[in-house]
Amino acid sequence: MKRLAILIIVLITLLASCAAPPPAVKGTFIEGQSGGDAETLNWLLAADAASFSYAGMCFDSLATYDNDWQVHLRHLAKPVEISGDGLTYTITIRDDLKWSNGTPVTADDYVYTLSNLMFSDWLNYTYQTDWQEEVEGETVFVEVELVDETTFVIKRQTIDPEFIDNAIYSLTPYPKHIAVKYEGDLEAFTEAEEFNNLTYTGNLGPYRFKEWIRNDKYVVERNPDFYLGQETGAPYFEEYVTKLFGTSTAVLAALEAGDIHHAGIEPEQVAKFKQMEGIKVYTVPTRAYDLIVYNLRNNGWEGLRNKTVRQALSMSINKQTFIDQIRFGFADPAFSFIPGPSPWYTEEGVPKFGIGDLYDKDKAKEMLLEAGYGTRESDDSISIHDKDGQPIKLTLVTTTGSKLTEDITLFVKQELGDIGIEVEFKLVPWPTQLRQYMMNKVSGSDQESNYNNGPDAISEETWDMMVLAFNTHPIAPSGSRVFFITDGGLNFWGYSNERVDELFTEVRSSEAIDPEVRKQMYAEISRLIAEDQSANFLSFPRSNQGFQVNVERIDPGMRLGWNHHEWYFAEPE
Amino acid sequence: MRQIKVGGLKNLIFIFALLAFVLALLRDIYLVDESLEPLNYLYLLLLIFLIFYVIHPLYVNRRLTRYYWERTKKHRLAVLGLAFIMFLVIVAIAGPFLTADPTEVNFEKKNIPPVGFSAEQSIYDVKTGQLTTTETPGTWQHPLGTDDKGRDMLAMLVSGARVSLQVGLAAVLIAIFIGATVGVSSAYFGRWVDQALMRFTDLMMTFPFFLLLVLIIFLYGSKLIIIILAIALTGWTGTARLVRSEALSLRTRDFIMASKSLGASDRRIIFRHMIPNVLSSVIVIATLSIPGVILAEAALSFIGLGDPSVTSWGRILHAGQRTLDTAWWIAVEPGIMLFLTVLAFNFLGDGIRDAFDPRSQI
Amino acid sequence: MKRGGLQNYIIRRLIYAFLIAFGVVTITFILLRIGPSSPADKYLANISARTQDPSKVIEAVEARYGLDKPIYEQYFNYLGNLARGDWGWSFSTSLPVIELIRRHWIYSFQLILLSMLFASSLGIFIGIYSAVKQYTKTDYIATFFSFIGISIPNFWLGIMLILIFSVQLGWFKTYYDTGLPLFSLANLKALILPVITLGTGMMAGYTRYARSATLDNLRKEFVKTARAKGLPERVVIGKHVLRNAILPIITIIMFDLAGVVFGGAYLTEIIFGIPGLGRVSFNAIFANDYPVVITITLIGAMVVLLTNLATDIVYTWLDPRIRYD
Repeated sequence: MKRLAILIIVLITLLASCAAPPPAVKGTFIEGQSGGDAETLNWLLAADAASFSYAGMCFDSLATYDNDWQVHLRHLAKPVEISGDGLTYTITIRDDLKWSNGTPVTADDYVYTLSNLMFSDWLNYTYQTDWQEEVEGETVFVEVELVDETTFVIKRQTIDPEFIDNAIYSLTPYPKHIAVKYEGDLEAFTEAEEFNNLTYTGNLGPYRFKEWIRNDKYVVERNPDFYLGQETGAPYFEEYVTKLFGTSTAVLAALEAGDIHHAGIEPEQVAKFKQMEGIKVYTVPTRAYDLIVYNLRNNGWEGLRNKTVRQALSMSINKQTFIDQIRFGFADPAFSFIPGPSPWYTEEGVPKFGIGDLYDKDKAKEMLLEAGYGTRESDDSISIHDKDGQPIKLTLVTTTGSKLTEDITLFVKQELGDIGIEVEFKLVPWPTQLRQYMMNKVSGSDQESNYNNGPDAISEETWDMMVLAFNTHPIAPSGSRVFFITDGGLNFWGYSNERVDELFTEVRSSEAIDPEVRKQMYAEISRLIAEDQSANFLSFPRSNQGFQVNVERIDPGMRLGWNHHEWYFAEPE
Repeated sequence: MRQIKVGGLKNLIFIFALLAFVLALLRDIYLVDESLEPLNYLYLLLLIFLIFYVIHPLYVNRRLTRYYWERTKKHRLAVLGLAFIMFLVIVAIAGPFLTADPTEVNFEKKNIPPVGFSAEQSIYDVKTGQLTTTETPGTWQHPLGTDDKGRDMLAMLVSGARVSLQVGLAAVLIAIFIGATVGVSSAYFGRWVDQALMRFTDLMMTFPFFLLLVLIIFLYGSKLIIIILAIALTGWTGTARLVRSEALSLRTRDFIMASKSLGASDRRIIFRHMIPNVLSSVIVIATLSIPGVILAEAALSFIGLGDPSVTSWGRILHAGQRTLDTAWWIAVEPGIMLFLTVLAFNFLGDGIRDAFDPRSQI
Repeated sequence: MKRGGLQNYIIRRLIYAFLIAFGVVTITFILLRIGPSSPADKYLANISARTQDPSKVIEAVEARYGLDKPIYEQYFNYLGNLARGDWGWSFSTSLPVIELIRRHWIYSFQLILLSMLFASSLGIFIGIYSAVKQYTKTDYIATFFSFIGISIPNFWLGIMLILIFSVQLGWFKTYYDTGLPLFSLANLKALILPVITLGTGMMAGYTRYARSATLDNLRKEFVKTARAKGLPERVVIGKHVLRNAILPIITIIMFDLAGVVFGGAYLTEIIFGIPGLGRVSFNAIFANDYPVVITITLIGAMVVLLTNLATDIVYTWLDPRIRYD
């Protein structure tokens, strides 16, 4: 009898959970931000992350990743077909996507967006290079061809296994029937009502544009026609508001008071929020990393052109202390440019300067001595100085206005001061840093200043070290080649390693199609770059995201918001 | 006859001082290969002008000076203000030698509260997930506490005092110099010079002051010297107006007309007669403008446009507003200092103004 | 008073104002264009693509905003547009400049209006009261507080108020909610702290001016006469003294206006998160959005010029002794 009862109870529970109704649609979700407002919803013209994120609330792209790097199809009807030779990509979109005027979204909209807008001269799309390739020394666009209502094809001439992650998945179309009206006229396109108010988005995304009060809030309302929500009823918020605050203090005060539901939390405030019952703090990895770049060009200290010297400097800076003291523990030490959660990440064989055994100021001094930059004193200590006996003074350049980079600068000064190297820092505004310190040209020539004018070019101002932050696409890290190959467009510090150049080319070849092979290639790149220490990679910071406890279905990870259309409020608001 | 000789001696010394200054400047530019600190030269130049155009006339006209001083003394608040300012000046000059280095960071010692207070600090250990809360009491080692990078608050406030006084003095002196020159020239030369200068002054006056300031600093950099120059260049108009109206009334006075008929040159009349007489109102304006300048610099730093390589009260406030709830002293202390300094100058200025105003009954 | 004379005067002043406006636009334009930074700068921070040529990006952005043409061409284009009523496109907010201002001026306006009402009513009252009771304890206390009012850095006051009343006591929200209907009590409540912050500095000034203007008048002969006539003190002050004192007081208030709008209001808006013109102009400067910067500077200048003109007209109207030839 008892067993039967238990069986019945189990069955009923099972049935009940199977038939669990979707969450109720209620409430306004408010996300708090203290950064700057977005510039425009006309995303083809934008270059700031906020603009893309605002516009992206109203339409999805072809596909997206979750936190395990699994691909989830969005506007794609089925996975992209790649030809055997890796050069042709066949893209099939869903047939139920519609613009606001009722007409269906077709492959022609995609082809038009690519060929007539993104590849055009008159629009000058900022991210054109995502769709370009080098063929026989020339830069050309990939070829786009329409096949039928829902299919189009992209043809390349060179192989790039990461093209799909880098460019294809994030593609979103503009409506051809509206864009033709503005084609060729940049001013009209910029001021186009439809594009600035996202009136065309139809059922393409979970929300629709409602209102945007500059520097105050961006409001989108639930889209009942959402193509993914027809069965599940998603999204579950009536409105989604992105509210801007003047200072981070104000944001956090609002979070604490329960006025907003989500905000990023500064490292020094995390402890306080962890103690609060009504708030849950998720610590998630990010794809950004900070690093100290050494100037390998002719106008930097000559010692920096010696690998041993660079390694010695990096060995004197304690990454763990840096993370603990300045980042409050919310970071992972970095030794290369690929972030931990990336499938291409390796630790094997990558020298870990600045941690454990490789944090050794005495050893650093020995290495400097070996390289000719010190003398052994009578009491067996080593005094560090330049080749002509003068004390070594290095110039460290950082951007003003960032508390973090200032902290790093002061920390570096302290650490290097301990081994006898004096660090003088220059805090400059970002544009100055770009123009006077990063851009370079061969002196005396009438070249135009650029970020990499070859090994003999030097920047206008002298500098030795620079604190910066870059970021890496976790799935498609080959984009970082722009920093690390000899003629990389952004290799402003003059790093050069032939083998690294070769590897970055191989990573774009047919061999690299096999993920295992690609992983080995990236491993070798990481090892070489870490060994060369042309830059001292410091850390991959983690960010702390605070949510009210009644927000459900949050999937914490590097891609925290990937499923935001599934979030809902557990209790009545 | 004797007067001319004394005048001549003074002028000689003045010219000599200027010459020495220019020589030093040239030497540094061409012979010594060090990067110039334009700020120091500015201060030196201002000091020279201050001595010759303000201190010396006051010294020469001792009786007048003493008369004004007696009247000022009657204002208790003004005297209090003056005392505080003197205290601040001493702190600014001697302080940096007695306190710790305000730029020395020590991340182990961050966020220590002032003596007598105790702050709760929670540290979250990322690896273990443990939250440890400790009570950090203030210590006499850092009597006013430390900031979020472990820098001693007292040292930073002292450094800030120096900066505020320097900026206040420098910007005001330059502004007055420009304003007085414009005002006096305008009044004295009259007609189209007056019209042109006054229209230009009107134009400058209609620009929203703070907006223009932010614009200039943003476009041309936020180094201290640029801040000083920008404040001076946007703030001279009030002085110009006032000096002009005073000078206008002077122009028609008997002693000026007498000088003129005696054949005195324009230059002599301006420098020997007009300037000393407008000096009293100029001093009042100067004293009352200093708080405005100090606040302007603090406001700029507060927005983030201050000079990052200099420790000023505004900059400390800017950093401190992030941690209002956990480290309140970082924002409160510089605010109090600003408040007291501005208050002192306002008291003093008000007192001097009443003292110099013949109509007020003391 | 000749009517014609006044009219001519106004016309002359308007022409004059127009010339000044022209000067303001020119100077601001020059300042912005010869500065070393460019709107393209922020795009450079986001370059992460492959062999993308960053200087091509700058080229593209500048072409987009017409910044690649020679300066004088840009200047004349801009002036031409202004004449046609086209105040430009704000590329940092993707709105026409006029629209941007139209959407945000009301927030600044309500803040400034309320602050002025608060500051002038309280300030004038205290000023007159302390002038009448000169040298008494009330006078000293009032004077002392007005000094404190002028001396407190208003951005610091704002932060302290937030710390005490919003963070610690929780009486007010820490940010301004634009969703509140403009004429509601909730909106008024949300504006209390900002108005106190902005108004305190203003009030202190008004108190002192009111006090000294009243004092000046109290010494005059007609007051003695009025008192001798046996008029109650209230009437003496209220009717006679006030009418004479009001003129200089109003003058001061008007002159102060422009300084307030772009000085104190600016900072108050930033601290309390009120999306008014102060914040708009601040953000525009940082984004090198020159059409917005020039327009707002122009508005500021216009406010100054018009208030000056208005004050002068009011003077004429109130004081029959003044004539304009």
